[in-house]
Amino acid sequence: MAIEVSRLRFSYPEQPEHSVLTIPSWSLAKGSQTFVYGPSGGGKSTLLNLLSGLLTPTEGEISLFGQRLDTMSSRQRDQFRANKIGYVFQQFNLIPYLNAVDNIRLACQFSQRKKQANINDDITDLLTSLSIPERDWHCAIRQLSIGQQQRVAIARALINKPKFLIADEPTSSLDPVNRDAFMALLMSLVAENNITLLFVSHDMSLANYFNHVEALTDINRIEEHV
Amino acid sequence: MFMKLALQSLLDRKGSVVLSIMAMTISIFVLLSVEHIRHEVKESFSNTVSGVDLIVGTRTGSVNLLLHSVFRIGMPTNNISWQSYEQIASSSNVKWAIPISLGDSHKGFRVLGTNQSYFQHFSYGKQQALRFAQGDEFDAVFDVVLGSIVAKKLGYQLGDSLTLAHGIADTSFSRHDNLPFKVVGILAPTGTPVDQTLHVSLQGLEAIHLDWQQGVKISNNSLTQTDLEQAALQPKSITAFMLGLKSKIATFKVQRQINTYANEPLLAILPGVALSELWQMMSMLEKTLLLVSALVFVAACLGVNAMLLSSIRERNREIQLLRVAGAPPRFLFLLLELEAIVITLTSITLASILLLMSLALSQDYLVAQFGLHISGAIYSERSVGILVAILLTSCIAALIPSVYIYQKGINVGG
Repeated sequence: MAIEVSRLRFSYPEQPEHSVLTIPSWSLAKGSQTFVYGPSGGGKSTLLNLLSGLLTPTEGEISLFGQRLDTMSSRQRDQFRANKIGYVFQQFNLIPYLNAVDNIRLACQFSQRKKQANINDDITDLLTSLSIPERDWHCAIRQLSIGQQQRVAIARALINKPKFLIADEPTSSLDPVNRDAFMALLMSLVAENNITLLFVSHDMSLANYFNHVEALTDINRIEEHV
Repeated sequence: MFMKLALQSLLDRKGSVVLSIMAMTISIFVLLSVEHIRHEVKESFSNTVSGVDLIVGTRTGSVNLLLHSVFRIGMPTNNISWQSYEQIASSSNVKWAIPISLGDSHKGFRVLGTNQSYFQHFSYGKQQALRFAQGDEFDAVFDVVLGSIVAKKLGYQLGDSLTLAHGIADTSFSRHDNLPFKVVGILAPTGTPVDQTLHVSLQGLEAIHLDWQQGVKISNNSLTQTDLEQAALQPKSITAFMLGLKSKIATFKVQRQINTYANEPLLAILPGVALSELWQMMSMLEKTLLLVSALVFVAACLGVNAMLLSSIRERNREIQLLRVAGAPPRFLFLLLELEAIVITLTSITLASILLLMSLALSQDYLVAQFGLHISGAIYSERSVGILVAILLTSCIAALIPSVYIYQKGINVGG
């Protein structure tokens, strides 16, 4: 299994009695592509932050590829995230004052890739395969279109060859044409590299790209402790 | 990559960063210049006189005597009779004596009446004797030897003639214009007040004051130059004199003898001791200046921190992005510290350039106006120490925004 969650409960330290997330049991198979839909405020960001190791569960276990995330130190989690997890946000995926190449290189900074010599070649290959024109590689990110920015974001997320990719509403700021192009590109890259994808969105029209579709309300079984 | 990120992020906030750097540059400039000028003034003063064991003048404060006899600052209160000078100069412990007579000027430069032993025995810096750039020491009554700056500023050559003015004001109305002096020698630069002095013989000074009473000219052209050169011009009084002793051990003994001299109230001082008294008087001022400039620097440091702190608020998404990419919170901490260090180092560089430039521009003025030689070597052991302290202080001050961003980094998911 790529992801296994059991008896997970999360509450913010300020309100320990108020559970934001309660997941009795949930898992994702290796190489699966899963679409999770749900309204905002349904514990979506909390779930993603738990899976990426930015938050630790109040109770319960989270395992990614057989490794227990909840028992790792924060340093180990940072390292694990850098090496194994890619992340694409709705927007602001890139440091605005760095150019595309430097943004991607920055992602290598924190992973084991840092020591490898062929990073530049990989960046070039990746940007070429994402059809970003070479003249835009060294432009400030602000000068790129939103569609281009999201493609560079994919490149940044994939440069460390992650096993798990989290996409958090990545198409919300795109127009329909760009959205379809983005989805096609994302799905082909994920399939090609055998990456486990968790795609979160409220836009149900995207569900037909996926073989697994789940509602967040089915995963998160909050029993309100009043 | 780390450095690039810090630099690019600073470049991205050019406006506020440039202002912070300017504030910091000015504060470091003030700190560096206070320290440098303080150091150089001391150096310059200490170099002015060397090899003189005692300076003798009329009873006054020792600092006052030192200032007017050596640095040509201020005025003597009274004169010493020629007899007293001769008696002390000829005593057994004395190796040489240099009489000094002050009070006249030429275009704002002071005139010093003395004798040939001045050129033989007076030394400055590290026991360096006076050297002539052109010509030779004065011989006749109306010969004058110029300091290097006097010659340069006023454009005098050997053989030129000039008249002296009574008193030290540039615009003095009472001039000794009936009796011109001839330039016979120009001294090599020394970096001391000697450069701004005109040296004449005591006889020359005596001659131009012969028909004066109580500082006022009483007749016009009653005496001619030839009359005077023939007359025996015995000085009646001098302002002060410097003594070189045969043995240093006798210094205190001779000093006591002079201080208890029966015929006239006299004061003998050791230049080194008087100089340290002067530093003691100045140290309060020095410390105050240094404290004020340190406080200005602290204010600039806080300004930089306020800028960094407010930038963190704009960088929320950036922090999240870096954390998601696997950056540990300490990376964010170091990033902010590095930004503070870059700002400080840039400011130090700019402040040094600014100081070097202003020194280069003001050097001539300081020499001409105050006889101060401020060298361009701004990196002394102490100033480098101050720069290190500046860097450390800004690192410590930057802990405030750095810890703040660290906290934000930890809590990015929540």
